Amino acid sequence: MKRLTRTLAAVAGVAAAALALAGCAGSAGSSDSSSGGKTLTIAVWDYAETPEFKALFDAFHAANPDITIKPVDVPNAADYESKVTTMLAGGDSTDIITVKNLTDYSGYVAKNQLLSLDDVEKKLPADKLAGLDSYKYKGDYYALPYRTDFSVLFYNKTMFKDAGLADPENLTWDEFAADAAKLTKGSGSSKVYGAYIHTWNSLVQGIAAAQNGKDLTNPSYGYLKDQYDLMLKMQKAGDIIDFGDATSQSLAYQTVFETGQAAMVPMGTWLIAPLLADENAGKTNVDWGIAPLPQIESGQPIVTDGGPTGFGINKASKNVDLAKKFIEFAASEKGAEAVASIGIVPSYSSDTITQKYFSLKGMPQDALSKKAFAPDKVVPDLPVNPNSAAVNTVLNEEHQLIMTGSKSVDAGIKEMEQRVKSEALNQ
Amino acid sequence: MTSLAEPGTRAAEPAGAPPDRHRNGQRMRRGALRRRSTLVGWSFILPNFLGFALFTLVPVVAAFLLSFMNWDAYNPPTWAGVHNFVRMLNDQSFWVALENTALYALGHVPITLALSLLLALLLNKKLKGIAFFRVAIFFPYISSLVAVAIVWNLLFNPSSGPINQFLHLIGITNPPGWTASTTWALPAVIITSVWKDMGYYMVLFLAGLQAIPQEYYEAASVDGANGWQKFWNVTVPSLRPTTFFVLVMLSISSFKVFDLIFVMTGGGPGRATLVLSQLIYQDGILNGQFGYASAISLALFLIVLVITVFQFRLQQRREN
Repeated sequence: MKRLTRTLAAVAGVAAAALALAGCAGSAGSSDSSSGGKTLTIAVWDYAETPEFKALFDAFHAANPDITIKPVDVPNAADYESKVTTMLAGGDSTDIITVKNLTDYSGYVAKNQLLSLDDVEKKLPADKLAGLDSYKYKGDYYALPYRTDFSVLFYNKTMFKDAGLADPENLTWDEFAADAAKLTKGSGSSKVYGAYIHTWNSLVQGIAAAQNGKDLTNPSYGYLKDQYDLMLKMQKAGDIIDFGDATSQSLAYQTVFETGQAAMVPMGTWLIAPLLADENAGKTNVDWGIAPLPQIESGQPIVTDGGPTGFGINKASKNVDLAKKFIEFAASEKGAEAVASIGIVPSYSSDTITQKYFSLKGMPQDALSKKAFAPDKVVPDLPVNPNSAAVNTVLNEEHQLIMTGSKSVDAGIKEMEQRVKSEALNQ
Repeated sequence: MTSLAEPGTRAAEPAGAPPDRHRNGQRMRRGALRRRSTLVGWSFILPNFLGFALFTLVPVVAAFLLSFMNWDAYNPPTWAGVHNFVRMLNDQSFWVALENTALYALGHVPITLALSLLLALLLNKKLKGIAFFRVAIFFPYISSLVAVAIVWNLLFNPSSGPINQFLHLIGITNPPGWTASTTWALPAVIITSVWKDMGYYMVLFLAGLQAIPQEYYEAASVDGANGWQKFWNVTVPSLRPTTFFVLVMLSISSFKVFDLIFVMTGGGPGRATLVLSQLIYQDGILNGQFGYASAISLALFLIVLVITVFQFRLQQRREN
């Protein structure tokens, strides 16, 4: 009997240990208050490589010394949304969720994971906050922005000078193509391209939708034809880097621009901060400027695609008032100063902030760059819609087929319309 | 320690031992002993079983139930009946992914099997430096999959990649677009995966080859068999258990393929290399439709099950 009891005890011990091990996975973000002060937890991605978070948190802590912010770091930005979804599904009580983009935002809102922030929104200067409207979903706000990015045209000033071209001011897409042809030279591995269109579908579809005043979740895509025709013409002429080459090499747009492989790169303003960092670290000496994104016709207001990054409050948060205080701070001028100081474009815009931004070391000082910084209209790629992730999957697949020449533009557009209807919207 | 010795004690007992007066007491003791050794046995597999139950069995059962529900991983699931399965049968992407998965398996399984057997035969010789060649062939298997995918992607680069430059050199003016072409993306992925996997299966074949008694070959030589006849009548039948194992493992891994394709082409261009596992990932993790994704994974499970059972049946019939 004695031995039996011992065996049973051993079994129980093993079971308890296994359960304890399994239990460890449960709690990730707790909001315990330590050392008297109050603690606020915020889910972020790649904390060490995304300096805007620390800048913002430090500024908030300086203004509210009794509140400490504890980042809940999700390494690998690409998996951020699925990891946060898993955390929230597990009952995690991290107070604030950083909302990376509008597609993720649609997901959180559709799942009813965020608190309404209407009361905070009423305290904010709506006219000064770019991207605020994008968060309006059925009349309510579930996240508020602290930064807003939009597409601009990054260009290599040296290459423009060498080709004897004027700076790319007020370009139409046709003029963009003509400039690209003049900037292209050389061959083989030393070839320099007029432009690089990164492989993302948003760089063709999102921009075309924004400039045509259309909505990509509405499956009627005739307006994409002109933009695709232009891109394919440039690709055929060898004036932009071939799509297939770019995907097979997993080409990084930052490297392409910094090493002068392409003279013009349409890209989001998020490229500014890493460019400044590399410039100041001596990793690149490219003489760059930004210009407004080319438009369909000249003389029209500058329309570009873009969207906010913001913060929302987890429904399971136990520090709602503190969390609201932080979100209000992040959207305010003080929060804007903090993120602008490291080259991130804040949502809050004012002359003071723009001045501060352009006084950063390494920022181009010309009038064109300043003009590019204030587009007339910023439209989201994909509006807030519970199906936008599924719509984007289809649009991206057809984008690849068109750009690799596997399908004609017309067939691709037709397929997009059919598939978005049957696979993404009617489920 | 006593418990470990017990099975031996029991086995040593003569089968038809004559009854004696201690028999009842012995039976009681034996019952207790058996219970105890069962418990000890359970305690040995318990840690592993708990892990298996928590992280495999429960999720598998949950996925089965979820395939009949709608669930976004956050709000309570709602009953959907067979809706997910009806949707699957009408989903063009499902059929595209199924076709790609089958084509991948049809390419990957026979080529890997043939090449790994060939390599094993070549490297089953007593030559100087044979260990080096064995390591060289096995090497791809232990290198990081992501690194392999990225390097092969560069090799397959349609205009400046070494593969196409070589093809140009030997006079092929219009070489395939590989990962940038809907026709050639799947072959490109198969080539990469064969290269990566064949070393592992070669080791299995090598082990099988070395277990074949030398006497068989000697006997065949005495009978006047040539090399081909020896291979066909001695090596192949003796290797059958290994071949069967390799075939089953290869088929299962081909149908489950995800990582290599995900890194190399992401399922593209378009849906040219979209496989079932990626479709499950896309619909579940990315689009948050866990019920639908579970339905597809159930379909994948059934396909793999049917194929494996079929292979076992075939093997049994051959043995009989």
